Amino acid sequence: MFFSKTRTRITRTLAAVASVAALTLILLPSQAAAGLNIVATTSTLGALAREIGGDEAEVRVLAPPDRDAHYLDARPSFMAALRRADMLLEIGAGLEEGWLPAAQRGASNRAINSGQPGHFRSADMIELRRSITMDGPNMGHVHEEGNPHFNADPLRMADIAMALAERMGDLRPDHAATFTERAERTAERLREHAEALAEQVEPDQRIVVYHEDLDYLEEWLPVEIVGYLEPAPGIPPTARHLRSLVSDLEGTEGTVLYAEFQPPRGAEFLERNLGWPTHAVPLDPPADSALEGYLDLMTTWAQSLPQR
Amino acid sequence: MPRTPHSRPVLAGLTALTLAAPGAAAAQWTASDDNSSWGLDVSLILEGVYYNELSHGNDSPAGFSDGHDHGHDHGHDHDHGFDDGFNMGHSELALNAQLGDLFDGVLILGFDDSDIEVEEAYLTTRALPGGFQVKAGKFLSDIGYINSRHGHDWDFVDRPLVNEYLFGDHGLQETGVQATWLAPTATYTQLGIELLQGDDSFIPYQGSGGSHTTNAGDEINSSFSNVSGPRLITAFAKFGPDLGPDHAAQFGISGGYARTWQQETEHGSGLEEWDGDAWFAGLDAVYKYSSGRAYGHGDWRVQGEYFYREIDVDYQRRQDQTTIADNAVGSSKAKQDGLYLQAVYGFAPRWEAGLRAEALGLTNDGLPGNERDQNRVRQFATPSFGTSYRHSAQVTFRPVEPVFLRAQLSQNDFIDDDGHRDRGLEFMLQLNVALGAHGAHRF
Repeated sequence: MFFSKTRTRITRTLAAVASVAALTLILLPSQAAAGLNIVATTSTLGALAREIGGDEAEVRVLAPPDRDAHYLDARPSFMAALRRADMLLEIGAGLEEGWLPAAQRGASNRAINSGQPGHFRSADMIELRRSITMDGPNMGHVHEEGNPHFNADPLRMADIAMALAERMGDLRPDHAATFTERAERTAERLREHAEALAEQVEPDQRIVVYHEDLDYLEEWLPVEIVGYLEPAPGIPPTARHLRSLVSDLEGTEGTVLYAEFQPPRGAEFLERNLGWPTHAVPLDPPADSALEGYLDLMTTWAQSLPQR
Repeated sequence: MPRTPHSRPVLAGLTALTLAAPGAAAAQWTASDDNSSWGLDVSLILEGVYYNELSHGNDSPAGFSDGHDHGHDHGHDHDHGFDDGFNMGHSELALNAQLGDLFDGVLILGFDDSDIEVEEAYLTTRALPGGFQVKAGKFLSDIGYINSRHGHDWDFVDRPLVNEYLFGDHGLQETGVQATWLAPTATYTQLGIELLQGDDSFIPYQGSGGSHTTNAGDEINSSFSNVSGPRLITAFAKFGPDLGPDHAAQFGISGGYARTWQQETEHGSGLEEWDGDAWFAGLDAVYKYSSGRAYGHGDWRVQGEYFYREIDVDYQRRQDQTTIADNAVGSSKAKQDGLYLQAVYGFAPRWEAGLRAEALGLTNDGLPGNERDQNRVRQFATPSFGTSYRHSAQVTFRPVEPVFLRAQLSQNDFIDDDGHRDRGLEFMLQLNVALGAHGAHRF
């Protein structure tokens, strides 16, 4: 035959290396961590998990609290964290849909797959408010299940704390009673703090917010949302929309709230034209906080409104 | 030719692993509360491209068309596949479904105004233990960075030259099996191997049985032997350190070996054949900076790749079944490489601008062939070519999340087979819209 090359050596070597590597990795002892390794998408969920888990859990938060959790990259470091997680704690209802499914798939960890006990989807545990995206034209930012920004509602967070403790108990039955006990205390503190803060705020407050991410304040504070700076969720404020907001609200009193990562220009326009005070507020507590961090955040929200 | 004895057991093992895993890990948990993520997701990506060639340069970079007979350009005779004026661009229909938490199934159909093609159709395991994942079907190889990404995820309208000319118009897109392992480490570390059928422009395959009739009426039977698949094996490793909330990076190294590389070119006066093997290796890196401001304002993305390949072939040109044309026979290696580096910056909310610099053929020893000497006698020769370059600039506007409008200006600085350099300038305007359940983006 004309051609007489032998090309088996490289293939053989590669196959051998691959087999040895695969065997070694399969036989590696898996480090059985004593505590529950929990990865939470947002720091609000992280705070609950830390409070309930105590020393029996190690919590890592993926989304930096000063960023919009809608728009993150499915970073390699997220996948590395999820790879070792016993539990994934997410908000759900579409909040993390732009990146979490890719990170989950890339993590190659069945324990946190959708449908597994190690996957806790908070939105499934509570009733959601309607999202304005459900009624408006489809502009690509649609929350079909409802408004996913319930981290602004301590009453719902109290319900989630209870459900979370139950799930954590399923995964670590030895500590189930402790988890439930801590969750009960957490829920109680959330409800009490919410009530105390609500009593300090002047009644019948009207607020304009940037996105539908502070709508849940209506659930526990004496406030009413009277407008959004965005013409539609995900669309930046337009001059025309802001002018129409001003003409609708002219002569009334209220407050403008927006998240620290949102551009302040729309709020400033309302401040100039309506005389309303504006506040840039955090939407989530610092990444390493436990319950105290969230209680402080509630105080920040409540105190951005006129006090009695 | 002796058959490689080891690739088959490996393939069989992987298949067995894929099939056994779901049984071994029979679901113990039934989810009553999570029905939303189990259905079929459909998304439609529509694209339109307006293309205008402002000035015409060389059609294609030297050294990357098949063979090297002057005037017989069998490779890319049009550099982008775009016509002057309006083009359908590259649109896709993507279907995604889950079988419980055991498998993900993906089907991606690519289409333009005349063709529909199955770009990807594969199953991915979701339930293997120990950080393993197996993918089987037709898919884009995970070598490098851009190779596995579809057009709507790119930062420029067109595919980088190095990917297009080393791996083809669709990149390295093959049928086969992939196995990956993600290490349980704080630094993202993924290792993967792929066994691929091997039949595309990186690894052309003919097999035995072909024949060719010359103008003189002589029949020439091809001298290739059958080589059963998989004919291509690739391996890759990716690393992603945790750099805090503002920074993220991923570094990759990858390579592949094709145990057969068979190509032929028919002429009225004879048949040219190349038969050998090939390998490639490359490095890729991506860095992303997140400013924390809204709508991508102030964000950076920097990405670059380098690939090198060698094709080690025996060459012959026959004028009938047994007669080699003059001295047109020999063995040699084609050695070629290419790289690109690009950066994109969000200069205003929803607006970004980017620059890309590319070089193709820094090393550019083309496929061996024949050249006629002054007596018009054919001699075996290994040609060497110069380096081609391309520089591109783009501005992209995203009015709403699933829509982008991109304007791109590209200057080709291609060298031709005779060493003549000529510059061409192209303008492209791209509209890309994602409709339906658009899946999460990979890093």
